[in-house]
Amino acid sequence: MDLLKIENVTKRYSAHTALSDVSMSVPRGSIYGLLGPNGAGKTTLIRVINRITLPDAGRVIFDGREITDQDIYHIGYLPEERGLYKKMKVGEQAIFFARLKGLSRREAIVRLKEWFVRFGIESWWNRKVEDLSKGMAQKVQFITTVLHEPKLLIFDEPFSGFDPINANLLKQEILRLRDKGATVIFSTHNMSSVEEICDHITLVNKSRNILSGSVDELRHRFGENVFEVTYSGEQATFEQSLEPMADILGTSSVADTPYLCSRIRIKDAASVRDSIATANNAVELRSFREVIPSMNDIFIRAVEGTL
Amino acid sequence: MNKISIIIAREFNERVKKKSFIITTILMPLLMLGLMVAPSLMMLFAKGDQKTLLVIDESGVVAPKLESNDEVVFTPFSGSIDQARANEEVFGVLWIGSDVVATPSQVRLYTNSSSSMTLEESIASQIEDVVEAERLGMYNIEGLEDIMNNLQASVSMTTYRNDLSAEGEEEEATSSMVAYLLGLVLGMMLYMFLIIYGSMVMTSVIEEKGSRVLDVLVSSVSPFQLMMGKILGVASVAVTQIAIWGVLICGLGATVLPALMPDDMMQTVEAVQAGQMTALEADMDADMLSALSVATDVSGLVMMFVWLLLFLVGGFLFYSAMFAAVGSSVDSIQDANQLQTPITMPIILALILAMAVFNDPNSSLAFWGSVIPFTSPIVMMARIPFGIPTWQIILALVLLYASVVGMAWVAGKIYRVGIFMHGKKPSYKELWQWIRQ
Repeated sequence: MDLLKIENVTKRYSAHTALSDVSMSVPRGSIYGLLGPNGAGKTTLIRVINRITLPDAGRVIFDGREITDQDIYHIGYLPEERGLYKKMKVGEQAIFFARLKGLSRREAIVRLKEWFVRFGIESWWNRKVEDLSKGMAQKVQFITTVLHEPKLLIFDEPFSGFDPINANLLKQEILRLRDKGATVIFSTHNMSSVEEICDHITLVNKSRNILSGSVDELRHRFGENVFEVTYSGEQATFEQSLEPMADILGTSSVADTPYLCSRIRIKDAASVRDSIATANNAVELRSFREVIPSMNDIFIRAVEGTL
Repeated sequence: MNKISIIIAREFNERVKKKSFIITTILMPLLMLGLMVAPSLMMLFAKGDQKTLLVIDESGVVAPKLESNDEVVFTPFSGSIDQARANEEVFGVLWIGSDVVATPSQVRLYTNSSSSMTLEESIASQIEDVVEAERLGMYNIEGLEDIMNNLQASVSMTTYRNDLSAEGEEEEATSSMVAYLLGLVLGMMLYMFLIIYGSMVMTSVIEEKGSRVLDVLVSSVSPFQLMMGKILGVASVAVTQIAIWGVLICGLGATVLPALMPDDMMQTVEAVQAGQMTALEADMDADMLSALSVATDVSGLVMMFVWLLLFLVGGFLFYSAMFAAVGSSVDSIQDANQLQTPITMPIILALILAMAVFNDPNSSLAFWGSVIPFTSPIVMMARIPFGIPTWQIILALVLLYASVVGMAWVAGKIYRVGIFMHGKKPSYKELWQWIRQ
């Protein structure tokens, strides 16, 4: 069952339409990528889910029911633009945010201590936020987002401002939370992180949902029968043998080896086996593998309307 | 509601823990007490040593009639002026010209150290008396001096209020001078609180917006809860400060002030308070005495503080909602300056009105100024010390608190849009659109 369903949500502002008729389903326990260029409507959609703004039309179904104000206790949201009170002490501040999410003071302290130990930042408890570096503050912010153990976690560009080591730590924590049952929505421009951790995506452009689905399915769907062939032998022989069934996109030599590498597009998906057999007869094959489009390619092609 | 209280608690705790808050809260009453006590302390300690003046009187009429007192001793001197001025052991030399009766400017004072204004005034007035008496004598009219004395009249007026006297007993109204000062202090205090605490709300909204804490907060609380929490949190700080001041001033008024005052003065003050005598009958400065009796009248002070608190909270809620709205719609304090003009203008206008009120506390200008919510907190506080009908105060409070609700609603509309707007400063037209959305 889906934890979150967006049904035909529309949101208009006086000057423009931020969301028009957007629908999407976020499966329980998934890590869901919400992608789109700047100004596409991602933030508005996230605000609608968080009940910061209410949609003009359409419904948001959370955990089987239409979403209510009470449900935001079960949502943790880390906005892209985020901050903490600079003059406040780290511990007090974390307690403050935890209480706003419905935890009692005592419960908040117990859980915070646990998280602070996990991140190795116990000594920060009584320090003021203004004395922390940006990355340190981000860690505190992450903890305040997940502390109330929400069913749905929404991260907007969570890795910006983190060094690779801490970004990895964060990624491991997000995966761990997913394994414990949380559902995660990711809003990001960073396509490599999408490929790494998202299992589903929705691509929003110009206020509309233009592409939805599982990452693997999408990448295969948008594969264009492009293959990379590594071989030793005559380039001319190879190209002549394949000419009837494939276009040669380019050939280069593989560095430090005697091999050549050609990119070919097979004209008909049904003739993949024939192509391999033909190539095998012509030259000595080393490898023959499909080039799956990266999410980056899919993103660009989808946004430019060339899918 | 619970969330608002969490916000209020944070605002309150963060502010009252600040050193600046603790310092101003403790220092202000001491400063005010100092201002109240200073005149009497000055009277006690300012009496300097007796000063000796050598008098060279070439006219021969003035010197015999000069009277030495606590402050100055006149010693006739028969030598030349240069000899007298050479004497550095005396305070100075007073030279009176031969024709002083006809030409009163023929008076000079040479001093070895700086003289004081009061000393110069007392010498001049003694010489004036002598010269006047001499001139009167020159008219050669019999009994002229008695006639002149008889002509002089000094009117002492005591004011009673018919509408204020309880149980038919005539109650002496506060002297206008004291009411004026008290009104001034209360009006100024409210003005300062509205401006200072109002811009505190604005600044803190701008900071929250700038540091993007707001973006995090709104995922837990609604913008309106956030705004009200902040306003009420800051209001509770203001109330705490006023309450501490109230307790301190009442406490000091009841204990320290009587202890510092000379006994006879306190007895007179008590007599005035008990209605046994009026301030004017006492042999002390009447205004000073009324001021003291106000400062040591605890129940009166308490009542004053209750009104002050009610108008402070009402006025603050009224204005701070707008301050919050302005803060939400800009990115920096510089941008806020222009947008907040429509808010600060009525506050300044109220202070100007309050000044006008002192001339006639019961004019229709004063009445309307103290009833219309935009100006009522300041103008009403300036009027209250003059003694005004309670129904007017109640009316002003009802109108003020009713309009607070409307103000919060309008401000909430602006706030909820404004906090997500970054970049260009909105125009008044855009603000109006936000309200209508």
